[in-house]
Amino acid sequence: MNLANPAEASNRIQEKPRGSGKAAKSILIGLGVAFILIMLVLPLITVCVYALKQGWEVFSGAITDPYAIKALQLTLLATVVAVVCNTIFGLFASWAISKFHFRGKQFLTTLIDIPFAISPIIAGLVFILVFGRIGWAYDFLQAYDLKVVFAVPGIILATIFVTFPFVARELIPLMQAQGNDEEEAAALMGANWWTIYRKVTLPHIKWGLLYGVILCTARALGEFGAVSVVSGHLRGKTNTLPLHIEILFNEFQLTAAFAVSSILVVTAIIILILRNIVEFKGRKEESEHVR
Amino acid sequence: MYVELKDVNKEFKGFRALNDVSFSIEKGKLVGLLGPSGSGKTTILRTLAGLVHPDSGDIWIDGKRVNDVPASKRGIGFVFQNYALFRYMTVFDNVAFGLTVEKKDKKFIKQRVNELINLVGLEGLQDRYPHQLSGGQRQRVAFARALAPNPHLLLLDEPFAAIDAKIRKELRLWLRETINSLGITSIFVTHDQDEAVEVADEIVIVNGGRIEQKGNPADIYKSPATPFAARFIGESLVLDRHETLHGFETYSGYDQAVIRPELIQITKHGKQPILHASEDGIVEDVFFRGSLIEVHVNVKGMRLIGHRSPEEEPLLPGEKVSVLIYRLYLYNEDKVHLAENVRLKDENTVFI
Repeated sequence: MNLANPAEASNRIQEKPRGSGKAAKSILIGLGVAFILIMLVLPLITVCVYALKQGWEVFSGAITDPYAIKALQLTLLATVVAVVCNTIFGLFASWAISKFHFRGKQFLTTLIDIPFAISPIIAGLVFILVFGRIGWAYDFLQAYDLKVVFAVPGIILATIFVTFPFVARELIPLMQAQGNDEEEAAALMGANWWTIYRKVTLPHIKWGLLYGVILCTARALGEFGAVSVVSGHLRGKTNTLPLHIEILFNEFQLTAAFAVSSILVVTAIIILILRNIVEFKGRKEESEHVR
Repeated sequence: MYVELKDVNKEFKGFRALNDVSFSIEKGKLVGLLGPSGSGKTTILRTLAGLVHPDSGDIWIDGKRVNDVPASKRGIGFVFQNYALFRYMTVFDNVAFGLTVEKKDKKFIKQRVNELINLVGLEGLQDRYPHQLSGGQRQRVAFARALAPNPHLLLLDEPFAAIDAKIRKELRLWLRETINSLGITSIFVTHDQDEAVEVADEIVIVNGGRIEQKGNPADIYKSPATPFAARFIGESLVLDRHETLHGFETYSGYDQAVIRPELIQITKHGKQPILHASEDGIVEDVFFRGSLIEVHVNVKGMRLIGHRSPEEEPLLPGEKVSVLIYRLYLYNEDKVHLAENVRLKDENTVFI
């Protein structure tokens, strides 16, 4: 096909779905929109509507409830620690995997993915088996008066476990695509690893890194399964926001449950917007520099 | 000798990349490592740079054995095949990188970088990013970046591979002139013999991890030392029944012969004065190549390729012609022999 004239070429592509194709196109789009409306938009609207059903007083009462605030604080703490840990881990892991050759590299890459494959509830149970009363580390922890399970450290550990792969997964393909040439060139001129990392590697991966951090944050905020197992549901102590919502729901305080939910919904939407901005900027920059 | 490799060996997972490689280079020379892809030429370059560590053998640069000297301390400038410019740095920062790493004075860096940018003819482009430059401009930046820390040896890996054919010729000349004016010892890798012949003072032919021949381009062209060199250099054509050709009947004991277009003269039938030394042939194909015409002729079942000037009377496919072969390169497993057409010699004709 002669693509000498790009305008002509794009016309040809657009001309294709005429007639019966046009109907198929509208049906497909209609189905897609309907699906998204029923599965995503409707529930989100319901949450917000339900949250405000009994008026602003009840809503603000539910979200300023001391237990709700405690739960929010714990959720934020777990999220921040998990994101920091996984970012540091992700940076090192992606560097090791993409820039060096070593035995067991494939195995390590697979290991990183385990949290994606394993149900969060199993992750929670694992921590109970290791650190709990029946766990093998229990005596040791007891000796130093450390509490992991049914306490804040357990919640943080579970959150870290569940959000473990996000940053590393985002960075590894990026860094592999970049190759080692630039690093090699910098090393040949006598730059040390820190200079190379800061000046050559990091500028390349910064948007990917940010993207990974955002995904990691979103997942950490909403984590329910693994945290539920290790938390013990102690109100004001080991309750995260999602767990708090569950408790409210089980107590038939539907409006309060939805009110607290709306906090998570709003953060989710903010994160989604941030994610899109980062993705857009990253793509734009990549299309500029990687040619 | 300024740069010297002695019996260097390197194996990659069972693949013998370098096989007893030994050669040496004089100070100030511009040397081309020429060979087909996978021949080990890039490995040689990377070994010199310290990016690859040889399994055995010695590398000497400027009278010092550098096997245990790390890459960054060897005083080498390296131009990568795809230039490996830092894509998130401007042209200025790219060129300045080596000096910044050495923690040189800011004023000095600025002066040196500007000097180099002028040298490579990129004035006014200091603030551009690599993606805003053309292929040729990128190569110049890579060149300037490699030169900035004042290396005493410059290594270039396929410096012209990523540039389109038209600018390539121009850049070759530019690179040769610039390197000669700087007087820096340089080694470049290429798979393109035209490039090697045109740019290099000296060519090292590499094949299968071995050095086949080293010499100046004219010598390598005229007297290839190994069968590989004979086949690889020039527009070579391999013949397997050379004893049947007039003038070469007495050369026996060789497996095959190599012939090049410049060793053949093709004339219209009946216009060849030295008939007894020439062969009859039938024109198979005629190709117009701009400055010359390439003629494929069938002689005794073998296809020979010769050149004719567009000024001469045109030949047509199927036409009967006379083919005079001046010389052949005969070889068996490891020997090459330059064979003259004996019938030409007998007559004592001053024809060539």
